[in-house]
Amino acid sequence: MDTPQQTIVDGNQSMGATLVIFQRRQRLIHNVKVGLVWATLIALLVGGLMMIRLQPSYMVDHYQIILQGAGATIGVSLASVAIATILALLGSVARLSSSAIAQGISGFYVSVIRGTPLLIQIYVIYLGLPQIGIQLIGWGYPNLGKIFIMDAIPAGILALSLNYGAYMTEIFRAGLQSIGYGQREAAIALGMTNWQVMRRIILPQAIRIIIPDVGNQFIAMQKDSALVSVMGVWEITYLATRYAKKDSKYMEMFIVAAAAYWILTIISTYFQNRLEKRMAQAYER
Amino acid sequence: MSAEPIVRISNLHKWFGMLHVLKDVSLEVAPREVVCLIGRSGSGKSTLLRCINFLEDPSSGSIEVDGVKVNLDEKGQERRRLIHEVRLKTGMVFQEFNLFPHKTVLENVIEAPIIVKGMDKQKAITLAEENLDNVGLLFKKDEYPMRLSGGQKQRVAIARALTMEPRVMLFDEPTSALDPELIGEVLNVMKNLAKEGTTMIVVTHEMGFAKEVADRVIVMADGELIEDAKPQDLFNRPKDPRTKALIDRYRSDGDSEQTENVRLK
Repeated sequence: MDTPQQTIVDGNQSMGATLVIFQRRQRLIHNVKVGLVWATLIALLVGGLMMIRLQPSYMVDHYQIILQGAGATIGVSLASVAIATILALLGSVARLSSSAIAQGISGFYVSVIRGTPLLIQIYVIYLGLPQIGIQLIGWGYPNLGKIFIMDAIPAGILALSLNYGAYMTEIFRAGLQSIGYGQREAAIALGMTNWQVMRRIILPQAIRIIIPDVGNQFIAMQKDSALVSVMGVWEITYLATRYAKKDSKYMEMFIVAAAAYWILTIISTYFQNRLEKRMAQAYER
Repeated sequence: MSAEPIVRISNLHKWFGMLHVLKDVSLEVAPREVVCLIGRSGSGKSTLLRCINFLEDPSSGSIEVDGVKVNLDEKGQERRRLIHEVRLKTGMVFQEFNLFPHKTVLENVIEAPIIVKGMDKQKAITLAEENLDNVGLLFKKDEYPMRLSGGQKQRVAIARALTMEPRVMLFDEPTSALDPELIGEVLNVMKNLAKEGTTMIVVTHEMGFAKEVADRVIVMADGELIEDAKPQDLFNRPKDPRTKALIDRYRSDGDSEQTENVRLK
């Protein structure tokens, strides 16, 4: 039995090696083709833009201005995604709790935020809340009133955090619910309290499922943060608009701005893919 | 058997919505006794077991474990405290193992002693390693559950429950999710526990195990205890026709102990 099997295995191995090489070459050819399609599309785009008498020298001269805004874009996005994560965690735990008050607050929050445009939320926080603040100051509560009058950057971060927190609440809820009920029962049977079950057993497992999605939300947020330009935050979109208007170079500045967002997204996607791969290897050693 | 019972279930009822799954069940288990609960699927045996540590909330009746009595009219803080005490006195092993996949074998076993009982970590590790050794899995202590076979997972689950030093062990169909060739290793661990005098209540389809290890076998049907006897009496001279049907079905499926057929469904 041993000898013939051995030869068959050997035969398969040499055949397998040829197959692997063939498949690798096929994959390479395919990737090269995809790359060529990208190159063609970019060439078409650039060609088309040249035809409308774009001034590339203006773009080259002003791209640093946009880069100055990248810092604000990244900073606002990072701060917002961090706060949104905390809100989502609280929101999802509240949603799944047995308390009517917690469930009610969480459900209301998610419904209001998801039911209204982000731009309106930004306006309400930046332009609407100060009306309450002024009213409070008028009633003789100056310290309380000042809280409602925010600078553009804190207002932007608050708006983005609240908005993404609501969407991420749903992501977190799904993540928490994906952990089997048996985990909860085993922990309860061992005498753990609800809080211990959540903190030691359910959350650590759910986090591994949720984190790649948080990466996705961060990537989306980098672009949505463009909306805070309406408050005059010096981020990419605001700076692009400002120069575009001043020098009437709309296409030039917006192409540079679009490219800046695109590059940011490509970089973030790279890190997100790495994170996702690491998460996929969970529990394996 | 004359000793004061360690588990006393009195007049227990359980409804799932409109379904009356436990009908006035009363049962006493003495210390060091091994009781096997058998019966068809849906007879209420798992529900009864899960009521003992309040994974299911009984609808009425009372449960007493090692002197801690939970009356079902009790509400609020005091009731929660009593249920917690009962859970500390009972260890449970599930059909689906329910090991924590994000923790190593050792971490699975020491988790509850440390965070629930506040046990010193070093002491927990010593105790855990002792129990893992007893189930023959000390060499796997740094593995993650994903890398274990079903039988190994269940043995770790047993060690995890034992490390809480419970007074009573509850087994809910501990071998029903296992491949036939892995059932034996789990049953052997359970036999050893029985020999050491562990009080055990076992819901099982393994008739061979019930016959060999149990002090008493209790048959359930339609939410009632229909027969309660020593295994040799029950298997040789069943009184209730439903018990007879259950045993006959097991016999007709063949007498080899560790085949899939043995497990009545």
